[in-house]
Formats: sequence, structure tokens, C-alpha cells
Amino acid sequence: MRKGFVFLLVLALVLVGLAGTSAEPSRAQGTWSLAEAAKPYAGTEIRAFFLERPGYVAAQQMIPEFEQITGIKVTWDVTPYENSLEKQTLDFTGGTAQFDVVLVDVVWIGNFAANGWIVPLEKFYKNPALADPELNLDGFFPILLESFGTWDGVIYGLPFDNYSGLLYYNKCMLQEAGFERPPDTWEELLNVYGPALTKDGKYAFALQSRRGETQSADSFMRVIWPFGGSLLKDDFTSNLSSPESLAGLKFRQDLMRYMPPDIVAFDHDETVQALAQGQVAMITEWSAFYATLANPATSRITDCLGITVEPAGPAGRKPALGGFSLAVNSSSSEAKQAAAWLFIQWITSEAKAKEYAERGGVSGRRSVYQDPEMIAKFPHYPALAESWEKYGNAVFRPRFPEWPALSDVIAQFGTEMMLGSISVEEGVARIEAQMATILRDYTAGRLPKLQ
Amino acid sequence: MANLADAVNLVETEQTARHRRPLRINWLALAMILPSIIALLLIGLYPLLFALSLSFQRFLLNRPQNNGLFVGFENYATVLNDPLFWSSLGRTLTMLLIVLIVQIVAGIGIAVLIDSSRWRAVNWTVKTALVIPIAMTPAVVGLLGLLIFNRDFGLMNYLLGLIGIEKVNWLGDPTMAMVAIILTDIWQWTPFAALIMLSSLAIVPHDMVEAAKLDTKNSWTIFRYVKLPYLMPGITAFMIIRTADVLKLFDMPFTLTRGGPGVSTELISLYVQRMGFRIFDMGVASAQAVLLLILCIILARAYIHFFYRTPESE
Repeated sequence: MRKGFVFLLVLALVLVGLAGTSAEPSRAQGTWSLAEAAKPYAGTEIRAFFLERPGYVAAQQMIPEFEQITGIKVTWDVTPYENSLEKQTLDFTGGTAQFDVVLVDVVWIGNFAANGWIVPLEKFYKNPALADPELNLDGFFPILLESFGTWDGVIYGLPFDNYSGLLYYNKCMLQEAGFERPPDTWEELLNVYGPALTKDGKYAFALQSRRGETQSADSFMRVIWPFGGSLLKDDFTSNLSSPESLAGLKFRQDLMRYMPPDIVAFDHDETVQALAQGQVAMITEWSAFYATLANPATSRITDCLGITVEPAGPAGRKPALGGFSLAVNSSSSEAKQAAAWLFIQWITSEAKAKEYAERGGVSGRRSVYQDPEMIAKFPHYPALAESWEKYGNAVFRPRFPEWPALSDVIAQFGTEMMLGSISVEEGVARIEAQMATILRDYTAGRLPKLQ
Repeated sequence: MANLADAVNLVETEQTARHRRPLRINWLALAMILPSIIALLLIGLYPLLFALSLSFQRFLLNRPQNNGLFVGFENYATVLNDPLFWSSLGRTLTMLLIVLIVQIVAGIGIAVLIDSSRWRAVNWTVKTALVIPIAMTPAVVGLLGLLIFNRDFGLMNYLLGLIGIEKVNWLGDPTMAMVAIILTDIWQWTPFAALIMLSSLAIVPHDMVEAAKLDTKNSWTIFRYVKLPYLMPGITAFMIIRTADVLKLFDMPFTLTRGGPGVSTELISLYVQRMGFRIFDMGVASAQAVLLLILCIILARAYIHFFYRTPESE
């Protein structure tokens, strides 16, 4: 009897032990499910802030699946980019919480985070009830998560709509002029490709330079970095009058000989159209425009389209970096915050990344760019992944709340510089004068020097 | 169109002021208009007073920590010492002067042509066509302008090309960009002038014109001394409406040039918007708006003083 009892006891212990060891991992991986996590929030309605760009259309197509799994209702507003900072700022300052899922441009993260308008995501990803065990934050390109997801070491947003500058070129025009490959450096583009490709009313290059963020980010900053310049020194005083920054800006003036004469009126659309219609041979534009240029309905050069990384300058390759993360509004109710997090986690997840990309989005997940099937479908992926993996520059534009004001000043004098109504040196001097006022709280030490 | 109502009210108060009757309150009428008065106070007066109070405060939307601090006239001093404010105001007033003259002269011309035409079908068609530009959303007009004034594919350069004129760099050249904005405004609002003038011409008494024709064969003289006096109230109303309109003209230039290249097309409203929603300094932006309102009132009073004449007072 006693033997039998001991045997049973041992057996029971072993069984309990086995059950215990097998239960541990299943709680971590197997039993978490989106449907379970969302149960307390079924019926909650959340509103997302979207733009009219391909990635957001992809998300809209995917939302019904999320709603079906979770019972959370997701609605959205589509706003033009130009009004989106203003609209969201008014929502934040008014505390109206119209949007639970907010959209954070790389240059707004400091503004939104420093003012406490968006929730640090720790609150959710450290909560086992809400965090998907397969969230895998390391699966994002680090540069993307850092530049438009993180402020002062804290994660606020997950990369959703991701951009890098790429060099798009018209292979046929280049071949006709005797070039077998695109230019590797900016100097080569200016000195070799420029003169050869500018003829018969066509131009070698177009750099979108319309007044606004296009001038300050796409044009002005794009020529400063590759030449070793930068906007600010470490002490937040201007670095624009350094020889390197000036060299970049002067390079842009030289390049104007090979650009359409109304280049200061070119926004993204005009620039992409100029390449798509065969008016110019090369442009440096955001990765998102691949869809327009590769589509026969919107482009005449689909067969001639070539894509590579942006040219290198004397200081190396410094392509433009941009993009948006999705974040949670601090003014939203707790339930809506949790629901918003579940949506953000799901739409940016590794599991959904491929579908998102196939529907036209540009995922921030590394895995998609290593998938041979996807590379075959999207030939610009290697250049894109290379730009983010090797050349990413998180402070391509400063991300503090003062950037919009600074951007406006740069946009104004930047275009005047290009028009030749003021010299490069004079333009820089005027930007510096206003920049000193805008950033005085930093230089005087009243604000932490974060960008 | 609220502007039109305002302007007509102004004109009417001037008239009633001249033949003032003893005050008798019609309570029923008052009760019936009360809801709309309350609505007007809420959406008209409240924001105005709010902006007025903001203009005396430090109010930065993107640095909200010290907002609400009373700063006296500091915001006004900032505005008045800002060369960009004065240059954008100067640009706006220059544009106002040009469009007012062109639109009134062209509007009268079109109205007189329609008025003297005998084909009813033509009149009706032209009148309908005149409404179309006015009815268009300014932002859409700006977007259309982008297509029309495009240097390479634009309609304008195509038409100029037909008569042998070289491509004009409309939106990339500071002067031509301003010309493009002015042309667009003239295109959109001349029909409005024509319609106002047309309705003014309709009230010119027929027998007066007939009588004048007995005295002179010179149609200019008849226009100047018989018809023009009837047009003056309409012209004054048009000037007031358009002045307010140009001072707050935003959508069309924003979509067409966004104030560029450089600051060459930065009208005052674009600058105020930039101050409020790019630089996020609501205090200074409110001070600018209040100063603009004052300017608008002064101009409106001046127009009434110098241009407004009832036909009887001529």
C-alpha cells in the first residue's frame, strides 16, 4: 500500500511538474490572442488620423479584419499633410480627443512627446494582457523606431508609413547619353551627367524645392548633409555658415543649371510627373512614389525606370529620411487608449507586414525586405533597405517642437537663395539671425538640448 | 455671402439714419429674430472677443507651459516691428488696388454689354455662366491654377505659344507668380462685379434714360450722368466685400503658390495663418488679425464716405 502510495505521489508530482513546464511557454506564446486581449474593449470605437497616401489606403482595406477579430470599431479621417500638424495640435491643446490613434511625422515626435500629448508605449507593451508576445520591437529597422518612434529614450510610436529618399532615374535617357549606370556621387551628377542630359528642353535633374516643408526638408537639408554640413552644432547654435554647409548650398545653386527653370515651384507631384513624363532624367524622391512611377497608368517610363540609393557626397551617403509612426492620444479614455494600442500593434505587426506591403503600404519591418518573393515584386526594396540599414540619419531634420517655425524660415530664405534674389551667404545669415531667436531657450540652457 | 449681407446692412443703416422714425419695439419680430441673433453672437462675436483677449496674452500652442500670461501690448509691438508683416500687408493692398480697379471697370463693361443686348437667350446664358466662377471653391480654383499656369504643360503657356510668345515661368518667378494670383482672382470675381452692376443697371428708370436721349446722342454722357449714379451704391458694396475678401484671401494662394517663391506671393492672410498654425504663436497671430479687422473697418468707412451716393443726392 505504502509503496503504491509513494508511487502515486511521485507520479502525481511528475505530472504536475510536466504540466507546469508545459504551461509556462503556452501562457507566453500560445494563449495570448488578439481576440482575448480585445474582449474588454469590444464595442469601443476609436478614430485614426490618416493621410491620403497609399499606406493609409492599405490600412483602410485591412481594418475590417481587425474589427472582426476584436469587435473594436475603427473609423478614420483623411487629412492633407499640410493641415495635419495644425489639426492634431488643436485636438491636443483643446483636449478634445477626436483622434485616439494619432499620426506622428518624424519632425513632430519631440513636439508631441515633450508636451505629453501622446502616451509612452511602455504602458501597453509591458502589460501582459495587452502586449502581443510576438511584438518584437527589434524587428523594426532601428533607425525608423528611433527617429519617429522614440523621444528622449522613450518609445511613443510604432513606425507605420516609412520613407527614404531614393534616386529614381530614366535608364533609357541615360543610355542614350552613353551612361550605363546612374551617378554614384553628387559631383558626378553635376559635372558629368548634368551637361550630357540637359538638352532639347529636357533637364538632367529635378529637386523638389517649393516653399514649405518641401523646400526645407527635401531640398535644403538634402544638400547640406552629404557635404558634411548640418543645421546645428552640439550647443544648438547654427552650423549653416560652416564651410561644409555652405559648400552644399552652393552645390545646389550650381545644380540649378541642369534643373527646370521653375524648379522653385516644383512640389513632389511636379517632380514625380517630370520624371514620369520624360521631362527630366533623374530625381531624388521619397520611396513612396515608386507606386506612381511604376504604374503604367500614371507613368510613361515604367520600362525605363531605374532605382538606386541617393548619390554620395564628400561626407558619404546621407539620404533623406522621413516617415510616420502611429501613437496613442493621452486625452483619450483608458479603454480607447488600450483599443488604439491593440490596433497599432496589429497593423504594424510582423504578421501583417507582408499583406500591408502588398496592398501598397511601406512597412518598417525588416523581414519583408529579406523576402525574395517581395524583392521580386518591388525592385526598389534593396535600395530602400540599404538606405535605412546603413545610411539612416535620425536627425536629418531636428525633431524638437520649434522645427515647424524653423522650417518656415528656411523655406522662405531657401527659395530666395535659389532664385538668386539673395546670395547663399546672405540667406544663411538671415536664417541664422532668426534661428538664434527661435532657439534662444535652448542656447540659454532653459530647455534640454534634444533634437 | 455673409459679407454681402453685412454690406447691405451698412448701406441700409446709412439710409435709415437719414429718415429716423420714433422708436417702437415690435416684440413679436424681436422674438422671431432672437435665435439668429444669439447664433450670430456665438459664432461671430465670441470668437472675436476671444481673439482680442488672446492678443494680449502669451499663447504658444507648441509650448503650452506658460500660456495665458498677460503681456500687455507686447504682441502688438512684435507685429508692428515685423518687416514681414508690413511687406505682406503692402503686397495685399497693392493687389487689392489692382483687382478692385480691373474688376469694377470690367464688371461695368460686361454689365453694360449684357444690359444693352436684345437677345434674351444670350443674356440668360451669359448670366448663368457668370455665376460659375463665383460658385467655385477657392481651393479648387488654386488647384486649377496650378494646372493652368504650369510652365511645361499649362494651358496659359499653350495659348501664349499659339501666338508665338515664349514659355512664361509663371509660378517659378516672383513677379509672375503674383501676376498669376491676381489674374486668377480677376477671373473668379469679375463676374460678381458684373452681376452687381447688372442689377444696379436694372433699377435705372427707363424714362430718365429716354429723356436724356432727347438731350444728347453721346452715350458716355448718358452713362456718366444718368446711369453711373445708380451704380454707386453697388460699387461701394462691391468694394467693401472685396476688401474684406482680399484681406482674408487664403485658400487660392495657399494651394497655388503657398506664398512662394520666397515671400513673393505671401499675402497677409497667409502670413497670419503661418504665424498661428506653423509657428503656433496664437498671441501674435491674434494681434495681427485684430489689426487687420481695424484696417478693414477703416477702409469700409472710407469707401462709404467717399464713394457712396444715393442717386437722389447727385
